[in-house]
Amino acid sequence: MLSKTAENLYWAARYIERADSIARLLEVAYRIHLIPNATTSYNNEWDSILQTLRIKEEYLEKNKVIKKEKIEFFLLFDLENQSSIFNCINRARENAKMVRTAITLEVWDAINITYHDLETYSKKKYNSKDLPEIIDLVKKQVNLIRGTILNTQLVNDSYDFLSLGTHFERADFTARIIDVKYFILLPNSELIGKDYDNFQWSLLLRAVSSFRGFKWAYGNSDIGYYKIIDFLILNMMCPRSLFYSIEKIDHHLKRLKKFYKKKSKAEELANTLHANFNKLTVNNILDSGLHEFLERFIIDLSEIYGQLESKYFLGAEK
Amino acid sequence: MYNEVYTKSKIRLSYRNVMKWANSLPKNTLIKKKTEAEDLFRKIGITFSVYNNYDASERLLPFDLFPRVITNNEWGKISKGVIQRSLAINAFLHDIYHSGEIMKTKIIPRHLIYGNPAYEIKMVGFKVPNNIYSPIIGTDIIRTNENKFLILEDNCRTPSGVSYMIENREIMMRMFPELFQTMKIEPVENYPNHLLDTLAKLKPKNCSDKPNIVILTPGPLNSAYYEHSFLANMMGIELVQGSDLYVEKNITYMKTTRGKEKVDIIYRRIDDHYIDPITFDNNSLIGVPGLFDSYKSGNINICSAPGSGIADDKAIYTFLPEIIKFYLSEDPILENVKTYKCYDSKDRSYVLSNLKNLVVKEVHGSGGHGMLIGNDASKQKLDLFKRKIKSNPSNFIAQPILSLSSVPIFSKNSLSPRHVDLRPYCLISNKKITLVSGALTRVALKENSLVVNSSQGGGVKDTWILAE
Repeated sequence: MLSKTAENLYWAARYIERADSIARLLEVAYRIHLIPNATTSYNNEWDSILQTLRIKEEYLEKNKVIKKEKIEFFLLFDLENQSSIFNCINRARENAKMVRTAITLEVWDAINITYHDLETYSKKKYNSKDLPEIIDLVKKQVNLIRGTILNTQLVNDSYDFLSLGTHFERADFTARIIDVKYFILLPNSELIGKDYDNFQWSLLLRAVSSFRGFKWAYGNSDIGYYKIIDFLILNMMCPRSLFYSIEKIDHHLKRLKKFYKKKSKAEELANTLHANFNKLTVNNILDSGLHEFLERFIIDLSEIYGQLESKYFLGAEK
Repeated sequence: MYNEVYTKSKIRLSYRNVMKWANSLPKNTLIKKKTEAEDLFRKIGITFSVYNNYDASERLLPFDLFPRVITNNEWGKISKGVIQRSLAINAFLHDIYHSGEIMKTKIIPRHLIYGNPAYEIKMVGFKVPNNIYSPIIGTDIIRTNENKFLILEDNCRTPSGVSYMIENREIMMRMFPELFQTMKIEPVENYPNHLLDTLAKLKPKNCSDKPNIVILTPGPLNSAYYEHSFLANMMGIELVQGSDLYVEKNITYMKTTRGKEKVDIIYRRIDDHYIDPITFDNNSLIGVPGLFDSYKSGNINICSAPGSGIADDKAIYTFLPEIIKFYLSEDPILENVKTYKCYDSKDRSYVLSNLKNLVVKEVHGSGGHGMLIGNDASKQKLDLFKRKIKSNPSNFIAQPILSLSSVPIFSKNSLSPRHVDLRPYCLISNKKITLVSGALTRVALKENSLVVNSSQGGGVKDTWILAE
């Protein structure tokens, strides 16, 4: 496979996952908006969304004030915002277009239609009333795309690069959103562990579409930060947890190693990180500091990506 | 105007089934099928990009559901003529890059070759594999009456449109399977296999048994990108951009997830001067530095060969009948359109005084650009061309305004005739020539328009060559 093809597959999947994440963030914000007297949490929520996506400055530069319609438009359709959903889908499609020989017609079709549907919305003047409809569309289409990948792609190296894209994005996103929430929700370190805002934590779970999952995993008990950390970082059953993503990353890198019959530094690093997670407890994480842990994790992840990139995407290996 | 459906106001035998079918289609079915076809095209992504149009950069090529039918007899003549022409073109290219026999006989003035911007001096004396310079030739043919097919243009560099020939058929078969049961229509789907065979035979000097073949594309912004990826897909070969390739010690490699892989044959869909920024245009970002040296060392073959474009230059076109006679000692099976060379003083004065009845074309133009259709032009435009011709006569040729044959399209309320041309794709790897029994029919969708180019409002039709 061409190095470029591998890279395009990876990024196509990564942008699709990102579009999905943003859609879910928007959904959470929309939900808060429906709750009376929640103005403060509402503004906090927007703030954390922009921070998670690392586009707060970009937004403020352009729009000056935090305003519902403006943020929604910024996150949905603004072409100047690299991380708008429409931009993500557009890039996913551009990447997919480059690899029409490596994806099935069904996968292409699903991505292509998503793009055209969003394009139709983007051409109209944005109306906040459409938000739920658009969010639903994105979520539905992303599930469709993922379904077609699962059901129609050959499970070969193409599949591995697609999966790697999904799980790198997911691991990165989950780590960042916990980190952002950690600071915003518990700004005073004395309050850590006081369970003082169940509502905010539940929003976090919704943002990673794991609210129901959490209930299933832990019973209908209170949502404590301890359990949440366990769920979103260490629980193998949670498809958004860091552990789950790193296991997938390790798995697909191992498959590539086997497929190409060549050792890879990326696989070695992922293997080590994966192994560390096996021994990890919530107390370990809290002892070393949640923020420090997440920061380290994001760095580890980007190191693995760096190795993946130089091994498979750049064709530097001669 | 010659309508291909009729002969002496009676429906020709070859169109009888199609006309019966077309007239019996309920109107709502037609609209439904039309939308269905468009959805299919969009879904598959058969679009062409339009440059400098960052907003709606992808358009569908309008597809008309009324097929064009060519009888086996007619095709027999067309294919013989196209094959003859393709052989002569390759013999001509070999000659002008070697001993130049044809210039010695004064059949073609030297300056038309050596002074031609498409002549590539770096190719002189270089032996290309099998002496084939242009392995894929798309010949534009027009029909002026029941028996007369004329050659309008040769495309020897990177003729496009063949994906439409295949996809149009695919769509028609899905939409109207019943039609295909009533008629015997030659298949076109084997074209990619033939193309692959043809390319595989054009191995460079230094090459393993099983050549590694790739298609080189300028990238997704190119108007024919869909076709590039379509062909790569159908042939099961990699579609590469310049950045996927590199040259090391005159050997061309592609970057893969397994490391480097030698490339043996490039079917390039980019123009000569972009293929190698070291040898040609330094500003090219889509080429491969060192590719030309790799080529000349016999480590890779580039199809078509750099410098092939001179053969489809409009100035050379006028000599094609002589070229055929000179190399093949045969009379041309298909004639050229009568062409006036503006550098010839007698021709020029005729052109200048009859501009209203002529089509004037720039010698190096393409795609219907830089063209004047005399009877359709304003006084200013006529004057402008007069000045242009006088100031640079050798840059122009002129042809009579021919009434291209027409075939009906499904227009809003009824069948309505529109002008068409025909482009078959000839494949040449050595003495063996393959011409798939099929072609692209381009149709001018505007009433009475003679311009069929997709960039100027043209559409396409499925083209049926009857098996008997």
